[in-house]
Amino acid sequence: MRRLIVVVALIGLALTIPAKAQRPKPEVVATIGGDDIYQVLPVGAIPAIDDPSFVSGAAANAQMSPGEPVLGIVLHGEARAYSLWQLDAHEIVNDEIKGTAIAATW
Amino acid sequence: MVYARTLGGKTYTFQVSGKLWRNSLIMQDRETGSSWSHVTGRAIDGKTKGAQLEKLEAVETTWELWYAAHPDTAVLEKSEEVLASHYQEYFDDPKRMGMFRAQWLTEKMSGKTLVYGVAIGPHAVAVTDSAVAGGNLVQVDLGGTPVVVSRAADGGVRAFIEGSDGQKLGSVAVTPVYWFAWSNFYPNTKVVE
Repeated sequence: MRRLIVVVALIGLALTIPAKAQRPKPEVVATIGGDDIYQVLPVGAIPAIDDPSFVSGAAANAQMSPGEPVLGIVLHGEARAYSLWQLDAHEIVNDEIKGTAIAATW
Repeated sequence: MVYARTLGGKTYTFQVSGKLWRNSLIMQDRETGSSWSHVTGRAIDGKTKGAQLEKLEAVETTWELWYAAHPDTAVLEKSEEVLASHYQEYFDDPKRMGMFRAQWLTEKMSGKTLVYGVAIGPHAVAVTDSAVAGGNLVQVDLGGTPVVVSRAADGGVRAFIEGSDGQKLGSVAVTPVYWFAWSNFYPNTKVVE
């Protein structure tokens, strides 16, 4: 996903703000499959959405740009869209569609 | 990507771990604290290690195309107006990739090329935008399974397993992803340009 590495960009931003001496350094916390795992932010620093609210397409249309990227899913005949601009700040939505628990991720 | 978050009768809730692996998000479940790859849906560490979430058919497209095709859609409510991506500069800059060097990044194409990844077990293909342009159907063999990838009217790229008479036997999840990340997870991936 395009945003896969967006966290990385976010970290990049975070790292450029404080003075150089104060920059937190991403720490290697494990190595799996030959690739390091870096801890770059505290857990939950980017808050997932646990109790999502939804509006109708017509209502959303007033707030959405035509070219705004969305993550869309149709499950059990029900269509849902999540603005990716909005998900930049959350990355994960713990959601449920007609009894199926899903995680919409970006 | 969208995952079913119930596995073996247990429902997990996910949070953002703050960790990166292969330059991509690691999700952490609140129930066991295990680490799950956002790209593959597989638990890579912790109590659930080895468990695999089911990736559901979902698409990335524009609001305009989605709404036109799904006028009855529900939409995640915005608490405030969001007018752009925080990361537009990052998206637009071909030189900016992950924070950490990708182990298997190849020279096949630019790392920032957006591809549509499809995997069945270890067998994977990366399909480029131009390959599915103009309603073109991409047919590919993934470890003996014939798969068709195409872009629908709602702008979403989807894939299905094709039967011997050309019928759809079932959908396969598509992962829209930058090439540098996909090639890190699937170094032996096929490429259809």
